[in-house]
Amino acid sequence: MANMANALVFCETREGALRKVALEALTAARKLLDSGGGAGGGGDVHALLVGAPGISSHASRLADHGADMVLVAEHAAFAQYNPEATAALVADRTRAGGYRVLLVSSSAQGRDLAPRVAAKLACAIATDATSVTLESDAIIVSHPINTGKIIATLALEGTPAVVALRPGAVPPREQPRPVQMQHIEPVGDPSAARVVVAELKQGSRTQLDLGEAPVIVSGGRGLKAADNFRLVEELASAFGNAAVGATRAVTDDGWRPHSDQIGQTGRVVSPDLYIAVGISGAIQHLAGMRTSKTIVAINRDRDAPIFKVADYGIVGDALEIVPALTAAVRAARGSH
Amino acid sequence: MKIAVCIKRVPVMDVRFTIAPDGTTINEAGLKFDVNDFDLWAVEAALQLKEKAGEGEVVIVALGPPAAEEQIRKALSMGADRAIRLDAARVPPDGVAIARALAEELRGGGYDLILFGRVAVDSSNGVVGPVVAGLLDLPCVTAVSKLDIKGDRGTAQRELEGAQEIVQFPLPAVLTIDEGLNKERLPTLKGIMAAKKKPLVVKPASLGSSLVSVRRLELPPDRVGGRIVGEGVAAVPELVRLLQTEAKVL
Amino acid sequence: MLVAVLAIGFFYYNARRLVSYLQLGRAEDRTDHPGVRLRNLLTIGIGQSKILRDPVAGAMHAAVFWGFLVLTAGTIEIAMQGVYPAFSYAFLPSPLHTLYLLSQELFGLAVLGAVAWLMYRRLVVKPARLQGDNLEQLDALIILSLIAALMLTLFLLNGFAIVSRPLTPADPARVVSRGLAAMLAGLSQRRAESGYAATWWAHVLLVLGFLNYLPYSKHLHVITSLPNTYLSNTSGPGRRGVMRAMDLEAEGVEQFGAADVEDLSWKSLLDGYSCTECGRCTAACPANITGKALSPRKIVIDMRRRLMEKAPLVAGDTDGKRHTALVHGEGSPPPTETGSDVLDRRLLDNYITEEELWACTSCGACVQECPVSIDQLDVIMELRRDLVLMESRFPPEVQPVFQSLERNGSPWAFSAADRGEWARGLDVPTMAECVSQGRRPEVLFWVGCMGSFDDRAKKITAAFARIMRAAQIDFAILGQEETCNGDPARRLGNEYLYQMLAKGVVERLNGYNVTTIVTTCPHCFHQLGNEYPELGGTYEVIHHSQYIERLLAEGRVPLAEPPGRRTTVTYHDSCYLGRYNDVYDQPREAIRRALPMVSLVEPPRSRDRGLCCGAGGGRMWMEEREGKRINVERTEELLRTGANVIASACPFCMTMLTDGVAAQNAATPVYDIAEVVASRLAGAATV
Repeated sequence: MANMANALVFCETREGALRKVALEALTAARKLLDSGGGAGGGGDVHALLVGAPGISSHASRLADHGADMVLVAEHAAFAQYNPEATAALVADRTRAGGYRVLLVSSSAQGRDLAPRVAAKLACAIATDATSVTLESDAIIVSHPINTGKIIATLALEGTPAVVALRPGAVPPREQPRPVQMQHIEPVGDPSAARVVVAELKQGSRTQLDLGEAPVIVSGGRGLKAADNFRLVEELASAFGNAAVGATRAVTDDGWRPHSDQIGQTGRVVSPDLYIAVGISGAIQHLAGMRTSKTIVAINRDRDAPIFKVADYGIVGDALEIVPALTAAVRAARGSH
Repeated sequence: MKIAVCIKRVPVMDVRFTIAPDGTTINEAGLKFDVNDFDLWAVEAALQLKEKAGEGEVVIVALGPPAAEEQIRKALSMGADRAIRLDAARVPPDGVAIARALAEELRGGGYDLILFGRVAVDSSNGVVGPVVAGLLDLPCVTAVSKLDIKGDRGTAQRELEGAQEIVQFPLPAVLTIDEGLNKERLPTLKGIMAAKKKPLVVKPASLGSSLVSVRRLELPPDRVGGRIVGEGVAAVPELVRLLQTEAKVL
Repeated sequence: MLVAVLAIGFFYYNARRLVSYLQLGRAEDRTDHPGVRLRNLLTIGIGQSKILRDPVAGAMHAAVFWGFLVLTAGTIEIAMQGVYPAFSYAFLPSPLHTLYLLSQELFGLAVLGAVAWLMYRRLVVKPARLQGDNLEQLDALIILSLIAALMLTLFLLNGFAIVSRPLTPADPARVVSRGLAAMLAGLSQRRAESGYAATWWAHVLLVLGFLNYLPYSKHLHVITSLPNTYLSNTSGPGRRGVMRAMDLEAEGVEQFGAADVEDLSWKSLLDGYSCTECGRCTAACPANITGKALSPRKIVIDMRRRLMEKAPLVAGDTDGKRHTALVHGEGSPPPTETGSDVLDRRLLDNYITEEELWACTSCGACVQECPVSIDQLDVIMELRRDLVLMESRFPPEVQPVFQSLERNGSPWAFSAADRGEWARGLDVPTMAECVSQGRRPEVLFWVGCMGSFDDRAKKITAAFARIMRAAQIDFAILGQEETCNGDPARRLGNEYLYQMLAKGVVERLNGYNVTTIVTTCPHCFHQLGNEYPELGGTYEVIHHSQYIERLLAEGRVPLAEPPGRRTTVTYHDSCYLGRYNDVYDQPREAIRRALPMVSLVEPPRSRDRGLCCGAGGGRMWMEEREGKRINVERTEELLRTGANVIASACPFCMTMLTDGVAAQNAATPVYDIAEVVASRLAGAATV
């Protein structure tokens, strides 16, 4: 298939459920092939599903999001993520199918899988890509480096190339087509893998780690009393994927545990969205959250230093504003 | 217990970077360098394992220019025993090429464990460790946040989004170490003095060809800070709108 | 004669032992600055200036001390009379002899009165700072009783003397003894003479006995305190609070900092001998006051106890156990049975814990208060150095500080590129710019890390820049070339990191041929002015409050019309400005000159008794986990003055006090001197 570049997309699942990042990768694959100027515009997107028997039930959803063909490998030993067997399978399929590019999500699992595949294929690989396009002689990837302070544009040569896509970089788009499915066999015996995932522990809803959470809602002294932290918790739960942080002042006072503290002597975080409620923005706290992508501040004091680093600020009483914001966020997400 | 730890010399991140005139490299004037944070945790993990076993050797391997020897000495001053520097004037952007050079050095070294940091804070790829494992055909577990080694078997915990995986693996193995496993020790003054005398061997690096190249580097658009959206509850709808449309975080 | 020889011989034997134990410590040269040392000896030692800081107890002690000095002359006369009965001072010219006798009588009475009061104080009043263990109380009471007995036997002696021989022309001067003599008048000559002999022996035996009791008692300080005062570095210009630089390159040095007594200098060990257990240090310690484990007195007594426990074994004293009597301390483990148990222990951890050491804010109040010039802070810092340099042990929140200092040249993770941000729009030149234009500015404005990065402190920096601008001072900043001067690293015990940073700064400053530096931060002020000379950096360093005061006094700052309203301001003394460098008046003067209608109120603990804000000694970067927060304690005191404004001269104090005000839910603003003055500039918006 010299002039038709096809893409293979590994679709991530967890305990039998399809993850949203798989749909993002599919969407990106479609965009990628359509972007190819000159040769190879409009090739096929094939999705690869690996899991325990029954995983094929997701095929239609994958087709809805642009998969021209869904390749399914089912085996009991794929019930949990099986790094070695999955990598072997993916590499083998990529090579055999002559794909131009393999797309994976740059999730925790994808970051584990993609390099293993690249090793087997001895090919070019880029991870944490925020965009990916096709040129005649290279795959072009945008990739933030140096803690996001620089954007690198990388060129991946050779066929195939492996690209891991940053979660959330490409919103999933429905581009339905008829479902075409093909069962494929694993390479070797998946149950003979050396590395075995013995257990998957789901974190509880309130236990989202500050280092992982894409959204953090943080409270400071401006909340006036320890009880008012429930407003912060409610706002966090309205987001669904938010963790709760605190300043040193309130952890010192015992309102929140020390493990919640964000700042110089606590955690340093870099979420996509950081909402600082009743936080003045003293240097020690800023040191812990400055590199957040978007910062929102809610504070009574217009001159509070937090407003200088915040992208958006609301001046006023947190105790009134936060409930209103919680309701608005719930409404906005409900319609998503 | 014989453990190899691969470290990388990276610029200190708390600075404003500027792009060199060639558009594909960073201006190094005035930059300070240190060992990659994640690699420090890997070194710490290795030292703790060696101390727990009561005997063994921790070997530092680094690909980089002569200037990287300062960072290698830091790892030695934490307590590692000896080091190898694979000479490369510049570290290429191709993780597979780097892995090739490292794998050649590590092969046949008889290591029970080869540790990497999960990711280098500058290149931000996280590729080298698992690729080295693949080239050496060793079991590999990435992003280890908890670790327990018993004899020739190990159990590790990996952080996923909102969940943890418990993984079992045999030794010898390659592990990449994530944040939270430990806090690296500060070298004591004695350690710093002793490190000056520990063996540091320089060898050529067999990188091979690179399939990844940098087309260009650019700075992200400036953060326009400090916009007060409004006052009181009335400002909430506007904020939500901006978060949805402009910031795209909602 | 024989008795004297025996007694003095025994004393000499003990004294030699004690001196030999001192030799266990590190060598150190204390022969420099003889003029300053002599002055300290006269004012603090003889003049009892520090003792008198507690006016009543101080006066009592001074009475006993001066009495002791005066009465020594008499004791010699009495002792000599044991060998040469005819010996007396009567050969002196009459007025002098009379004065001498009168002085003996009056001081004897004064001492007796003071001792009575001191006994009452110890037994009835029981002030908090004197509370030690039973052994300590017993020791104190024994001493007081011995002194009282000495005075009583002295008067009795003179009484018997007057009765048993004809009156001499000098006798009217013996006012007290005469009274006693009157009571004894009825005795026969023989009885009077044997009374005299008995009392003489009693007195002399008491003196010799007391002498030999000294090595077993805290009263040893009567021998050691004057030499200790002479040899101390705790008073005198530019010497106070200067930590000695370590030679980190020295070959064959195995120990950095102190883990046990032999790692401390002999002078610190001498401090241990000189401690009178008065507790003034602990009573002034901000950590102790707010419930932390640290007690400076305990540090010194533990050191002494440890020395007395270990030194005899190391010195090969087979009868070492007899010499552990100086051993009583606070909260220490009981004496052990075997020598190897003793040698296995060490001062650090077994006596003085990490918790105590990290609680210290290096405010220097303990050093300020100590009447015998002990340097408690020195011991604390040497132990910190061992913890960090030898053992890598320190509170976990300190690790990022060390890392950031190493990587960014700043204790916070801010980029050097941001250092000049505060100057945006203010047209402040950097040294580099000046040099490239062939200019040499008059003054380097050293901004410091707080002033560069902390949003609140940046306002102080900008305010001071505006003042200098208005006064048309030719100044420049280092801008991005500035790094931390290393003070946090040094105070936290990381001498290695400190020297790395400091040497870099010295190199840069010397490269620019800087001679005069003005800075808004007292910590920078202390470093650059007092501790850098040892590393090759000698500059004239002025704190901004001094500089402002000078500019105002010279009329170089154009001020607007004074506002009509009165303001009450209370000024908080920064430890590194005040106790460390004696700068108390200039900040106050600056406020007065800027605000003519101001009423300055002092908090109860003010000037060299000022309570620390809690941020010094690296504590700015540490969590406060025990007791009450020091800054809250201080802010409560400042708020109680009822002032409208709290003024400070240090960005760290500013942060701590502002937090303290917020914690009280009060609204009293905290302003820096620079902001107060800048608000009064002609054409400025009012503060």
